[in-house]
Amino acid sequence: MSTSSTNLSAKADTPLQTILVVEDEVLIRLVVAEYLRECGYRVHEAVSAEEAILILEAPEVSVDIVFSDVEMPGSMDGFGLARWVRSNRPETQVILTSGAERSADIAGTLCEAGPLMKKPYHTQEVVDRIKQLKATAKRF
Amino acid sequence: MSAASVTVLPRRTPPTILVVEGDVRIRYRVSDELRAWGFKVLEAGSAPEALTVLDAVQVDLLVLALDLPVAGSGWDVVRHIRERPVPTKMIVTSEDTDPPDSPGPFVRKPYRAAEVARLAAHSLNWPSPTQA
Repeated sequence: MSTSSTNLSAKADTPLQTILVVEDEVLIRLVVAEYLRECGYRVHEAVSAEEAILILEAPEVSVDIVFSDVEMPGSMDGFGLARWVRSNRPETQVILTSGAERSADIAGTLCEAGPLMKKPYHTQEVVDRIKQLKATAKRF
Repeated sequence: MSAASVTVLPRRTPPTILVVEGDVRIRYRVSDELRAWGFKVLEAGSAPEALTVLDAVQVDLLVLALDLPVAGSGWDVVRHIRERPVPTKMIVTSEDTDPPDSPGPFVRKPYRAAEVARLAAHSLNWPSPTQA
C-alpha cells in the first residue's frame, strides 16, 4: 500500500516528535501511521483507548501527541481517552477525529487545536494539524 | 581506491513484516525493533485485523502470536495463509510450547525483540543493522 509523499517537510523540523495513533479501523490506522512515519515522526499504534493508556503508561515511551478516533469499541471512547490524557499526561496534546457530526462541539472543549477533524480526512491534514499544535505550543 | 574497484549495489526495498500480537506492549516493542533493523512494519492487534491487512497489502513475513486473546486465534491466520497460492513466511510466538505443526520458526514468550528481528533478517536475507 502506498502513501502519498506530497509533503515530507516535517522530517526536517520534527525529528523526534512521537505520535500515538489510536484507531480501531486497521486500514485507516495503517495508512495514517505509515504516512506520519514517512514524514519523520516516531509513531505508536493502538487499537483502542485501553491499549493507548498502556502505551502512555509505559516508562520507556514519551508521547507528544495522541491522534485518536472518537468512536471505538471497549469501555472508553476517544473523549474518555482525551480526559484521561488531560488528567494523567497534561503535557501530551490530543487531536480527535470522528465521522459523527454531533461530536464536534464536545471535541472542541477537549482539544487544543479546536474542533475535531472530520472523517474522511487526507493524511496531509493530520500532519498540518500536528504542525499547528506544535506551533501553538511554542507560543506559550 | 580506484573507481574500478568500487561496486555500487542498488538499494533494496525493505521487506514488509506484519506483526500480529494482541498484547500492545509486546507489539510495539517488537515492531520498533524490526523498524530499527530497516524493515517496513505493519501492526495488527487481532486475527480479523491481520486478515484485513493480508487481503489489502503484500506482506513478506508474518510475526504471528498464536495466543491472540480475542476474536479468533493465530491459527485462523495460519489457515488463511496456507490456503493462499503462495504462502507467506511466518515466525510464530506463544506462551505455550512449540506446536508440533508450527508453520515457521517458533519463539516462546517472553522473548527479546532482537531475537525475533534476527530470525526475520535470516528468513528474509536482510542484513543486521551492524552489517548494513
